[in-house]
This record gives sequence, structure tokens and C-alpha cells, in this order.
Amino acid sequence: MNLAGRIGRRLLQPVLLGLLCLIGFAPGSHAAEDLRVLVVLSDSKTPYQNFVNTFKQNLPANIRVGIAERAEDYSSSRQPVDLIVTAGVAAAEWVAGRTATPMLATMIPSYKYAELLAKRPSSAKTTAIYLDQSWARQVDLLRAAFPERSKIGVLYSPTTRLDINELRKRLATHEAALIAKQTTSPGSLFDDLEDILSRSEVLLAVPDSDIYNSNNIRNILLTSYRHDIPLVGFSQAYVNAGALYALFSTPEQLAVQASNITISFSQMRSLPDAQFPVLYSIAVNQEVARTLGSAIKSADLLRQQIDKLQRKAQ
Amino acid sequence: MKPNRQVAVCSLLSLVMQSANAADYASDLDYYQDFPVVLSASRLRQPLSEAPNAMTVIDRKMIIASGFRSIPDLFKLVPGMYVSYYKGSQAFVSYHGSTDQNARRMQVMIDGRSVYMPPVSAIDWATFPITIDDIEHIEVIRGPAAASYGANSTQGVISITTRDAGEMDGRSVSVTHGSKGINDVSARFGKRGETLDYRMTLAYSADNGYDNLTTPPNNIPVTQFQANTLLNNSNDSNQARLFNFRADYHPNGVDRFDVQFGFNHDMQGVGFNDRNTGNNTNPFHDLFVNSGFLQLEWLRQLENASELSLCYFHIRHDKHESLPYYLSGRFFPGPISQSTQIGRDEIEIKHTLPLSASNRLVYGAAYQTSQISGKGDAQALSLNYSSSSDTHEYRVFAHDEWRITPKLLLNTGGMFEQDSTGHQNVSPRVALNLHVTPQHALRIGASVAYRTPSIAEEKYPIDRLPRILPGALFVPSQNVTEPGLVPEKLVSREIGYLGEFPDWATTLDLRLFHDQVSNGIYLSSANMIVNGVSSTYQGIEATLKHSFNENSNLTVNFAHELASSNGPVLAAAGQKYLKPASPWISDILSASIPRNSASVLYSQHLTHDVAFSAAYYYQDAMQPFDRGAIDYQPIQRRTDVRVAKAFRQDGGVKGEVALVLQNLFDKGYTEYIASNLFNRRGYVTLTLKW
Repeated sequence: MNLAGRIGRRLLQPVLLGLLCLIGFAPGSHAAEDLRVLVVLSDSKTPYQNFVNTFKQNLPANIRVGIAERAEDYSSSRQPVDLIVTAGVAAAEWVAGRTATPMLATMIPSYKYAELLAKRPSSAKTTAIYLDQSWARQVDLLRAAFPERSKIGVLYSPTTRLDINELRKRLATHEAALIAKQTTSPGSLFDDLEDILSRSEVLLAVPDSDIYNSNNIRNILLTSYRHDIPLVGFSQAYVNAGALYALFSTPEQLAVQASNITISFSQMRSLPDAQFPVLYSIAVNQEVARTLGSAIKSADLLRQQIDKLQRKAQ
Repeated sequence: MKPNRQVAVCSLLSLVMQSANAADYASDLDYYQDFPVVLSASRLRQPLSEAPNAMTVIDRKMIIASGFRSIPDLFKLVPGMYVSYYKGSQAFVSYHGSTDQNARRMQVMIDGRSVYMPPVSAIDWATFPITIDDIEHIEVIRGPAAASYGANSTQGVISITTRDAGEMDGRSVSVTHGSKGINDVSARFGKRGETLDYRMTLAYSADNGYDNLTTPPNNIPVTQFQANTLLNNSNDSNQARLFNFRADYHPNGVDRFDVQFGFNHDMQGVGFNDRNTGNNTNPFHDLFVNSGFLQLEWLRQLENASELSLCYFHIRHDKHESLPYYLSGRFFPGPISQSTQIGRDEIEIKHTLPLSASNRLVYGAAYQTSQISGKGDAQALSLNYSSSSDTHEYRVFAHDEWRITPKLLLNTGGMFEQDSTGHQNVSPRVALNLHVTPQHALRIGASVAYRTPSIAEEKYPIDRLPRILPGALFVPSQNVTEPGLVPEKLVSREIGYLGEFPDWATTLDLRLFHDQVSNGIYLSSANMIVNGVSSTYQGIEATLKHSFNENSNLTVNFAHELASSNGPVLAAAGQKYLKPASPWISDILSASIPRNSASVLYSQHLTHDVAFSAAYYYQDAMQPFDRGAIDYQPIQRRTDVRVAKAFRQDGGVKGEVALVLQNLFDKGYTEYIASNLFNRRGYVTLTLKW
């Protein structure tokens, strides 16, 4: 079993999966009519394939699913459908302006969705399941995982579309401080990283491809390790590479949520507001935890703590 | 990782990279890109509370705070370590008190490469092709670790890890100038790339060694004869010119190639002036050393989070000297020329394999060949000799780390070695680490280790110039002179405690040990190298670390140690080299250990980018093992301070000016040899980075 597998065993299983399916099949006030759904994938990469496979598995027989394997395969002249579910940014951007058919955009960062809405016909029903996690959930993880580390470092580039101030406020209400720094130039990345690491106790990776890409990740991890600063990532790959924790939703988890919205749509013919992922996973790199001397918390324990904090906040 | 998955990963990576450059970058791919394993098993340090041995880690922050410019001095920060110099350029680092000037019982590795050099099997610190600034951190294992590091790690292991190839992206220049001829210059360059990182260092380092002793040591009256040999008699300068290069090529997510090479040309002032007429076999002269290495390592991440490494290195270490010679009052302008050439090649394969989530196995094998040749030429004495020998050895090893329960960790391991001189050693080790609570851990360990005789011990150059060895070089005999010599054996037992007190921001590391040496090697009255010394060492060591706040830290080390041996029995039987130097000493080994020693390092970051650090070193009085009463080493107290100011100029140039004062209160002390006087000295370093 490889590292991913070992860590994966400790991942939170999508325990709500069955529950959500049950809700979907619960006897509604209206008998569900046949619904025609078209899933448009950005392309044929594995994450999108995993999404659509799980999505189909979780739908009842009266919902018929067609698949466009690549965004460009979709055209409005196709046979009409009741709902389009897009997977990935490319698919959503392709479809958005081309049809007024109700649309559920998935696997899309929240800021991208905001841009996308401008392209949609004003009357078109549109919603989304974001790919990113809410700051609230991320802050809860940081506080649950590192109660003794309150200085959270974030390095971002000028192109980042993140609401840094919102994160700052959230952390402040949880007795933690944000140490944020914008990189000054592409060449200064590691000087800026050294600066952030010298002032922080945890480094929170953000989806910013100018910084966190396959070229840089190696030296980012090595540098943070030299400083004894744990990195918190946003995908399983980060933990495989050497991040201490990661909080993320898998395509399968997003698909369960998307199928649930689809089932609801088949009954109510309405779409909910855009939403953050309901299901999520936490990955822990035990080897790194031991080396950094961190008190290791299991993914299960962290999950319990986060859920408790979120219930309290509601 | 399975091959098909590797292909998938690589293709996905390339897709992501292409996309990253495209204007319409699909940001959802950030969440699904795959990364190589960066912090792999070989990169991760074992936490102190889980290590099978007591371990001290000296990291970059400590290196900087110490103010030291010489690598061996760093080990003053390790409890129980004895650091001294035979000459100002010839350091030796030992554990369990002083040895002769060639500490042979300590294994030293640089990035996994042993630098324990024949013929005397000592460490030639001044000839390392690295500077103190090339070091990322040092792990010092206190106690034998032969199960992991092989024979000759009988007292401990110093494992130096140099900076990563990708640690630096840019240039830096550093200039140091100070008293006692201290002049260092270094230039560094590093580049990080997509698949290739590299860095290089070019450096020059010079100093004039110890101060001149001008009055008799310890205020002991000395004869004119002694005064002639001791006073104003320091010729121990050192000049090193070195270069090193390290590259890390990581073409994909699974393979990593680490390439290193380096070279050092070192010139050491050696010998002793002798104003007495008579024999002077070692007058002032220069010793030249050229040393170099090439190291190639391939690391591959396999499926199941296992890792395979294949490492090859070659080292070369050539020394030569030319010196005039006095014999029976006659001057031979000579010169006598002597040289030794040493080459070593080693290849090691190692597999790190998690057997389960709670059990990890490391096993492997290595093969090594060494060549040594030496020659001496003294025409005036009609003396001409040369020798050469090849040795080879192989070893197989395995080490298992089993987390029996979350609280209980069992480390077991062993190594089997065989060399071409017929020595076979099995070095087992077992250690149990118990986390009584997450903050408090206990360790109980036992191990057996051996030290194989050095080439010079087995091929002692007795057949050449009886009782007289000219110069500083030790050229071994062509023939085995001591066929019956067997390895020294050490049996070690220890109990360790590691406690964390988060409320007080304090950690405490304690070790109680009992080491028993048998078959200890010594020089007999008949000038033969023989086995026969038995000795016992026991003591306690402690390290306390406290953080006053995030900007000020304190490290305190303390060791108390006692030793006993059969030295008095052997001395009574007529073994003159084991006779104590002074009548008040009964046991030569026991007296060679500082009963108490301590070090304190405090560092603080002040405002305006100013950093301050201070260190205090204490060592009880002792009688160096193979020196006379005149070289008695009194209590050593030394205080060092460092003040540094960092600055950043427009245009991206960063820099730092640092002042280091060593032995601030000028409590001049002597060490190992009475003429090795250390007074206050200071130096200023200017570093620019851009």
C-alpha cells in the first residue's frame, strides 16, 4: 500500500453518502418526473471522470444522464435537457453563456463562479458547489489541529483571488493572527517565503498557481521543514508530498452533493443557492507529524472537533 | 507507485504545467495536481524521543549563535564531548575524555560519507571540503551506533548534513577579518530550477592557530630545557582553499539524483621548534593536504512509500611534507620528504520499507575498497622507504522500528562486517522507547560496537626508525607488524529520559550510561601495539532547552562522568605508556576525563534586526591522556559573544555585519598541550546576499 493509500485509510469516509441518498429517495410531495441531465466535463481527466461516475451512481433511474466528455462537445443545438451539471472551470465557462438551461456548476472555485454569473443570461437558473472550502471550516481545522500555534502564515501572489481580509477577521475571532504576505516579484518567492516562515507558526497553502505549483512545491516544503513549520494544504497530494494536514473535498464527495441537488431539482424544479462542499476529507501525514514533534491528532478526531465548532457557530 | 500511475502523474503534471502558462488557466486543477514525495523517509529527521540513541542536534540557528568559524568547535555544544587541538589546525573531537591526538573512536559522516581516514583512522577536520556555512545541521549520537553506522562508531557518531542544493537561489559573499591572522573569504552561488537545483561554494580560510605561550604553564617552574620547547613556540597556522558543488536533479516525481564534489587544498603549520640541541624529529615546517571527493546518490520512491537509495562515493586524501632533521645534535638539512596517498571507493544500497503503518524496516549492504600508499625519502640518512596496501570490506545491515503500541517503540538492528584483514564484527542494538505520556518519554538501550585497528596500528612503522617518527606524517609499514591485534569492543547500556514541559517552554534530555571497553588497544613498552586495556565509563548527561519567548532561547548542557580502568595494573606490570604523568594520578584513563563539563548558549533577537548571543563553556581540569605533567589542563572557562546587525539595501541586497569575541574575559587557558594557549580573540564578518 502506498503512502496515499495509507493516509487514505485514515481519511474520513463520506459517511453522509448513504444518508444523503436516502434523503434523495424520500417520498416527496410530488412524484418525480423523468429528468434529463447533461453532465459537461472540462475534459477527460481522472478527477472529472471520478466525479461523473459517482454522480451517476447516486441518481435514481428516472433521472437520465447524458455526458459531454469535453467542454467543447457541448453545443446549445443538442437535444434539450432540463439541467446541465458542469465539472470544472473550463466546462462551466464554455456552457455559461451558451444556454439559459438551468445549470449546476461544480468543481469550480468560488471566485470563478462569481465571474461566471456575469456571463449567464439574467433569467437563467444557476447555482454551484464550490471546490474551495469556506474560511470558517479552514480556520476551524487550524485551531483544532494547532491549538498552540496561533500565527498563521499565508503567502500569495498579486494574481490571487482570495478574500484575505475575511480570513484575517475569522482568525482574529478565534484568537489567532494572520501573517500574510504578497510576493513582490516571481524572483522573490523564496525570500518572501523565508520572511513568512520566520514570523509564522503554520503555513497555510492557498490555491495560487504562481506559488503553489509543481515547480515550487519541492522547495516550499523543504524550506518550511527547515524552519520546523508545518504546511497545511488543500489536497491529498499536498499531504503525500509532505504537508502535515490537508482539508479538501474529493470529486466523489462533490458528486454526492451534486446528485443530491439534482434529485431535489427533479422534484422541486428549483436550485438552491451556491454552496461550499458539505462533505470533506482531512488527510494527515503521520511521519511528518512525528518529525515535527506535533501532537498528532487523527483525522477522525479533527473532524469531530471541526463539526462541533461549526455546529456551535450555527 | 505503480508504473501506470507514474505515467498518469507525469502526464497530469505536464498538463498542469502547460496549463499554468496558459492565459486561461483552469484554476480547479490546483486542487487535483499531483506532487512528488518531497519529505520522504530519508529526509525526515527522527524525533529525539524516538531515536534509539541519545542524540544532540546542532542546527543552523545554533551554529550562527555560537559564532564559531571552525566546525570541530561546534561539538563544545554537545554534553560530554571533548574538543581540542594538537596543533591549531589539527582538531580532535572525542567522547569519554581525551585520547591521543588522533581520536579514533568517533565516526564522522558528511551527507552519509565517512571521513574517518586511514592510516591513523582519525578525522582530518581542517581538510573537509566544506565550510561551517555549508552545514544545514549536525546530529551527534552520544554512544555507540555501530548497528547503523558500522565499526568505528564506538563512542558515537557525528553526522553532518550539508545544505540542500536548492537551499539558495542567488549569490552571497562573506568576508571575515580578525585577530590571530583570521582572514576568511567565501563566495556562494545557488540556483533553483524546475528539475535541477545546484549550489557551489568557493572559500579561503586562514588563521594563525593558538597564541604563543610566554610564561610557564600553570605557573609551574620549568627547566630551561622545557622552556625551550614550550615558550614562544607556536607554529600552527592553517590556510585552506576549498570548493564544493552540489546538484539535485529531480526529473520526475519518483527519482532524485544528488551529485556532489569538492576539493580542499590545505596548508598547515606543524612541528615544534626546539632550541635544545639534540634530537628534533619534528621541526617547524608545512604540511600540505589535498583532499577531494565525488559522491553520487540515486533515490527512488517506490510503491508502498518505500524508498531505494544507491550511493557511490570516492574520496582522495593526499598529504606531503618536507622537513629538515636533527639527530643526535647533528643537523641534516635534508630535507626528509614524506607523503601518503589515500583513496577510498564505496557503494551502498539501502531500502527503506514500511512493513505496516506501525513498522518500518531499513536494510542494505555496502562494499568499500581503500588504498593507501606512503613513502619517505631522507637522502642524508640513506633512508628510503615506501609502502602500500589495499583493503576492502563489506557490510550488511538491517534496522527495524516497530511501534508496538502508540506509546511503545522498539528499535532493533544489527550490522555484520567483514574486512580483508580478517576482522568480522556483528554489532547488534536494541532500544525501547516508552512514551509514558505524550510529553514524557523513556528510553532503555543496549548495544555492542567494535573499533577495528587502524592501518597504522596493524602496520606500525617500527621497522623504520625505531622510536623516532620524523615529521607529522605517519607512514605505515609495508608489512603487518601486529598480526594478533583484534578490534576493541564496547558494550553500552543506557537509560534516557526526554521531557517536554510546554507550560514552561522547556525540554529536558537526560541520559545515564554505563560503557564497558575491552581489548582496548595501546602501545606497549616494547613499542608493540597490543590489546589489553579494559575500562569502564559511567555518567549522566543533560540538555535543557528553554524558550523565554519567541525571540530568546537558552540551551544548557551538562555532563558528569567517571571512568576506571586496568591502567594501574598494566602500569605496575611495567607498561610505561600507561604510567600516570603525575604521582597524584592513579589511573591514566580516569584522569583523562573532565569530571564535569557544561556549556550554555543564549541567543536573543533584539529590535532593529540586531541579534545577540552569548555562550559559556566550562570543563573541569584533566590530564590529557598521552601528555606529560607539564601539559596538565586546568579548569577551562570561556565566554564567547556575538552581536550581529542585519540590513537590507535598495536593489535587493541584504547583508549582515557580525562581531564575535571569543574568550571575552581573556581567561587564557591551555588545552591538550601546554603551548596551546587560547587568549581573547575577535573577528568581524560582513556578509552580502543578492
